[in-house]
Amino acid sequence: MQLLDIRNLTLELETPDGIVRAVDRVNLSLKEGEVRGLVGESGSGKSLIAKAIMGVLHERWHISADRFSWCGEDLLRLPYRRQREIISRDIAMIYQEPSRSMDPTAPIGEQLAESVPDHLLEGVSWWQRGYFRRKRAVNLLHKVGIRDHQAVLNSYPYQLSEGVCQKISIAMAIAKDPKLLIADEPTTALESTTQAQLFRLLASFNQLKGTSILLISHELETVAKNTDTLSVLYCGQLVEAGDTAGLLQNPRHPYTDALIRSVPEFQPDLGFKQQLYALHGSIPTLQHLPIGCRLGPRCPNARKECVKTPQLERQQSHFFSCHFPIQRSSADE
Amino acid sequence: MSDLIEVRNLGKTYRKATGLFNHKEIIALAGVSFTLQAGETLAVVGETGSGKSTLAKLLVGIEQPDQGEIWYAGSQINCSEYRKTNQFIRYIFQDPARSLNPNQKIAEILHAVLRYSTVLSFEQREQKISQTLRLLGLLNEHANYYPHMFSGGQLQRVALARALILDPKVLILDEALTALDPSLRAQIVNLLLELQQNTGIAYLLITNQLRLVRHFADHTMVLHRGECLDYGPTAEIFANPAHEFSRKLINSVQY
Repeated sequence: MQLLDIRNLTLELETPDGIVRAVDRVNLSLKEGEVRGLVGESGSGKSLIAKAIMGVLHERWHISADRFSWCGEDLLRLPYRRQREIISRDIAMIYQEPSRSMDPTAPIGEQLAESVPDHLLEGVSWWQRGYFRRKRAVNLLHKVGIRDHQAVLNSYPYQLSEGVCQKISIAMAIAKDPKLLIADEPTTALESTTQAQLFRLLASFNQLKGTSILLISHELETVAKNTDTLSVLYCGQLVEAGDTAGLLQNPRHPYTDALIRSVPEFQPDLGFKQQLYALHGSIPTLQHLPIGCRLGPRCPNARKECVKTPQLERQQSHFFSCHFPIQRSSADE
Repeated sequence: MSDLIEVRNLGKTYRKATGLFNHKEIIALAGVSFTLQAGETLAVVGETGSGKSTLAKLLVGIEQPDQGEIWYAGSQINCSEYRKTNQFIRYIFQDPARSLNPNQKIAEILHAVLRYSTVLSFEQREQKISQTLRLLGLLNEHANYYPHMFSGGQLQRVALARALILDPKVLILDEALTALDPSLRAQIVNLLLELQQNTGIAYLLITNQLRLVRHFADHTMVLHRGECLDYGPTAEIFANPAHEFSRKLINSVQY
């Protein structure tokens, strides 16, 4: 079943210099039990999209979309209270830098108990509720692989390592059994052994409970290993989307191609200390975005037509938006 | 030929007061030895708290070692000669946006480096600055910019310029490539590789990214709780790590 279906999501911000369009007509869809990766560089609007789904964007942002449906209900057209109700019931998010997104003045146990939703406690008499909440908090800690729960429950966020904090924020997120878990750069602050643990944890929730996961990251290699489908963003435009394996093997958009070729891991025949493939130039700022395809000035095969924004083209389950897609597969055949 | 840098049995212990008379000793680095040749890259990997950054700080003289010796091109380095050593061992921090002074123009930052460490006149310094900026793919006009006017990749280039302007023999990259976006990282890696080929500079790469280590480093050292577990050519370490911990670390990044 289609869980999340977004068509032409546009996020605009009014600034003194005019309207800045940070996210430009992005499509995103998620099925039940799907793990989707959202890849893009800093400033490409990944976190903005996640916040738009959560409904926590600042009110200065103008959100518009042709369709923004969650389980068949259009979230943008619902009254505010109903919208909050649905989101808080079904969607959970893990933020960047876990130790900063927690309350520094309260011990972990208190924060965890607070995140247990009320509907799980129905039928429990009021004098027992505190006890049940604490019991549930301990349970959650065990679920995310923290065995020494007593020490963790009594400590404050600053006393714990970043990896443990990240696990606790996952525990808070799964307290309400969400249908969709949005993980915004969950591993940037962690080292590689902890990273592997965390991805195994997320994968196990996906398989045991059927939780859909939207994994946001700028590291293509980690996303590629842990997702089924992939969307690639550049400067707020969706450049390519499709199955992870197919997309990595046969990228159609020059930007995706450049991303893949810049990672040594995906290049088995790259010699030791050889030059990596890199696009020249750097990411444009939001105030000075190029018109049309935003990759235009950096693109190796840009032509005159690229000043018009390309339409999203479809080949089976593979979407890309480029006037001159790479034709590698047909050349091979 | 003598080694560019030779480190023998380097150690550092931090003391932390736990009461009026008591103190706890934390061993940050316990007897590490290695050598570094010109034109080579040594990667130091390990988890947080393994002493990677302490090692870097000892080498540039931010901290004083408790034991061991550092030899540079056949002569021993003392911490008191920091002024002398900072010309050939330079350090790049993790986040260029935070390690550059936002109140100073790029030219002022670079002038200050040259003023403290060389005897060049103003014109010579100007010339050196424009030369270095061009070497790193920046323009002369960039000298009049403030740090906030640059994008992330360009800022890292400025940080590199500040390190390279003294023509160092060794460059220490303390997680300098971690925070960058993938396409910018590829640009910087290319730049570093090119520099190494042209000038024979040696790198000490402190990082968590084992993929990069494999592509970039000639030798690898695995640190764990201040102890050196594995040290040798990168290919050998990745093929058969000697220690259980290094095996775990390498397996966590499946190839």
